[in-house]
Amino acid sequence: MAESSNSFPGTNPFINTNTEKSPNIQKISEEEEIEVTSPTDMTFRQANAGDSGDAGFGGSAFNEGSQDGGPGASFFGQSPFGTGAASGEGEEEGGLGALPTGSAQHGFPNNYALGRRTSVSAESLNPTSAGDESWSPPYHPKTDDQLARLRTAVSGNFLFSHLDDDQFKTVLDALVEKPIPAKDIKVISQGDAGDYFYIVENGHFDIYIHPSGSVQPGPGGLGNKVSSTGPGGSFGELALMYNAPRAATVISTEKSTLWGLDRITFRRILMDSAFQRRRMYEAFLEEVPLLSSLKPYERAKIADALDAIKFPAGATIITEGDPGDAFYLLESGEAEALKSGVSVKEYHRGDYFGELALLDEKPRAASIVTKTEVKVARLGRDGFKRLLGPVEEIMRRTEYQFDASKSPTAS
Amino acid sequence: MATGTVEDSSPNEVQSGSVASSIPFKTNSIRQGIHEKERHLVHSIRSVPQKFAHPFLVTDRADEKQLCISSRGLELNDFKLLKTLGTGQEHYATSRALVALLPLKNQEDKTKVYALKVLRKADVIKLKQVEHVRNERKTLVAVNGHPFITNLAASFSDDLSLYMLLDFCPGGEIFTYLRRSRRFNEETSRFYAAEITMTIEFLHDIHGVAYRDLKPENILLDADGHIKLVDFGFAKQVGNRETYTLCGTPEYLAPEVIHNSGHGLAVDWWALGILIYEFLVGQPPFWDQNPMRIYEQIVEGRLRFPPNMPPAAQNIVSLLCKTNPTERLGYISGGSGRVKAHPFFAEVVWDDLFYHRVKGPIIPRVSHPADPSNFEEYPDSDVRNQNVYTDDLKKKYEPLFSDF
Repeated sequence: MAESSNSFPGTNPFINTNTEKSPNIQKISEEEEIEVTSPTDMTFRQANAGDSGDAGFGGSAFNEGSQDGGPGASFFGQSPFGTGAASGEGEEEGGLGALPTGSAQHGFPNNYALGRRTSVSAESLNPTSAGDESWSPPYHPKTDDQLARLRTAVSGNFLFSHLDDDQFKTVLDALVEKPIPAKDIKVISQGDAGDYFYIVENGHFDIYIHPSGSVQPGPGGLGNKVSSTGPGGSFGELALMYNAPRAATVISTEKSTLWGLDRITFRRILMDSAFQRRRMYEAFLEEVPLLSSLKPYERAKIADALDAIKFPAGATIITEGDPGDAFYLLESGEAEALKSGVSVKEYHRGDYFGELALLDEKPRAASIVTKTEVKVARLGRDGFKRLLGPVEEIMRRTEYQFDASKSPTAS
Repeated sequence: MATGTVEDSSPNEVQSGSVASSIPFKTNSIRQGIHEKERHLVHSIRSVPQKFAHPFLVTDRADEKQLCISSRGLELNDFKLLKTLGTGQEHYATSRALVALLPLKNQEDKTKVYALKVLRKADVIKLKQVEHVRNERKTLVAVNGHPFITNLAASFSDDLSLYMLLDFCPGGEIFTYLRRSRRFNEETSRFYAAEITMTIEFLHDIHGVAYRDLKPENILLDADGHIKLVDFGFAKQVGNRETYTLCGTPEYLAPEVIHNSGHGLAVDWWALGILIYEFLVGQPPFWDQNPMRIYEQIVEGRLRFPPNMPPAAQNIVSLLCKTNPTERLGYISGGSGRVKAHPFFAEVVWDDLFYHRVKGPIIPRVSHPADPSNFEEYPDSDVRNQNVYTDDLKKKYEPLFSDF
């Protein structure tokens, strides 16, 4: 889908894009050379022309105006970004027509929309807690071929690109087939509430935008056809974040098949996996004597800072003799500690190693080698210190006594 | 402002209430041996038991607290409504704030001026904002009395709507002044950023509350040009835990909110960075007409600064706008104290701002206590297409509104 004309996000039809005005900063900088001439600016100047009494409410509207020409005095000169300051970011837009945005009417030369901004919010979600009514994500079986196509279809979408393998798999499994039995079926209508995100499995769809912002009754009520999409294309991803009015109408041009994913399912999958991982890390961290004096919220912060890393079987995570820089929790799989090639300890889920690196960078006393595929959560000494300060101070709280003999990675 | 009468200014009250103590947190003999840093950390997440003197507790303002408790006696008819000051969630018109006059009993010629926030119950339910509305009221009650937060004087309800009676802040939105002047100079930006920083510090460290909707639209000016944070619709007591509901304003959403990986207090520090940028540059750092492109830029987190933006300002913005919250200034070790110690705020005399000893850089034009002219014009509410509060809804939701 990357090469399709409907690849995310450049030409996605469900989101207001504007072909004419590329929003990159270079553009802004060029146009800022022009003196601001908006009516609102005039108001400001008039308001500012009053006497500059510092008391009273009928005097100068802008107290500082008398000193330096107003709050908006050219702090940056005429062009905040300077000419050619920014490299073009390759933000060229695809083939959608102009949409009504209202940004141009404000009189400012660049295309930044100056209006008041609306707050957005999604449904309130609470993680499935243990014992509560359990929720498991929907599972709709797919062939390997279908999975591969779906994977490709969303590969460029930042909402999916940060998912780990497990989350990604769960999300793909949750996509539900939506057969579109004929042509001329409106899948989504401009202005309607957005609930689903769609990926095209087969068939074709035309995309229309009405300048009024929503579908109008009568002929031509769909507005202008701005694009079309086919297999591998996708639309409606804003609906995965919150309920915003659809920015376009999508109509089938033949019998088609879509895969759909609704916002609540998507966000719930992400939330539940994030929630479980945090709690798992916190539980693991609780078992680390070196960190036993951490307050629960500090443990939560550390859990938040852990990076998950995968290693194949036979990989070396820590090398004996290397300076220590990070601490590891074993999330899944098995590993062993080797001293001069001799196995001295085995590690399983929930075990940890390398914790002395949080104190200093003394050489590692043992190597840690994976026996199976392994997932670890890593925390660097710098990251720890940045978050909670030096670990020594935290240890000092309970006069933690470290018994070096218990840890083979101790030096 | 306590009363909305412009002359009856709160700075005096603030000062009189400030005599108490300069010790940041309650110390008692048991705690004294504990390391300073730990004490700070502990307090940064646990809300401190109420009502001892600390610099955030301005005054008890018995009259207002009283109103807060015994507000059930109020009804809409007690007020004369003057003009709409704003609407929330414009597409759907969830809430509406109006200037309202409350005649004082036994003093027929005198009135108090308030802002009245009206939320139709049916809209609140339809938009799934029940939890947010409850949080808003709860938070406002908890944080009442801070000089930079609009005070909740009372809340009440009738068959159709919920009402929150708030101090009227006649200066209007910082947003209006910012757009009018295009951008603020460094002084002005620093002043507002400093007051916001103190407000975030208070919400986080004392109450464990994440505000979650920082933007120029939600910052009002009082008659002296100091800020008042309004609209606590998304504020939530999160303490040390994370929360998951996406909310905020697109340009100001933190990356972790977009990713739904759980977010907490750190989102406000991110938003402060965006705010400082928008003050100085005139537009937020991540913008596109297509909201998904905004979010894509946010999670990428690549900031670009105008070359002549002061280095300290560039630096604080880039430290606040770290995409990884565990690297973000304000959230990392040292907390809000490190934000205040940043060179960008080098010239700030924090107490002068807090106690209103100095005036703000912009003094609003206010001709009378109920002058709404600093607020934008809003159309009257559209009575068509309003959601109906049916008996079924009432049965299900009325208990949830019983706080009001």
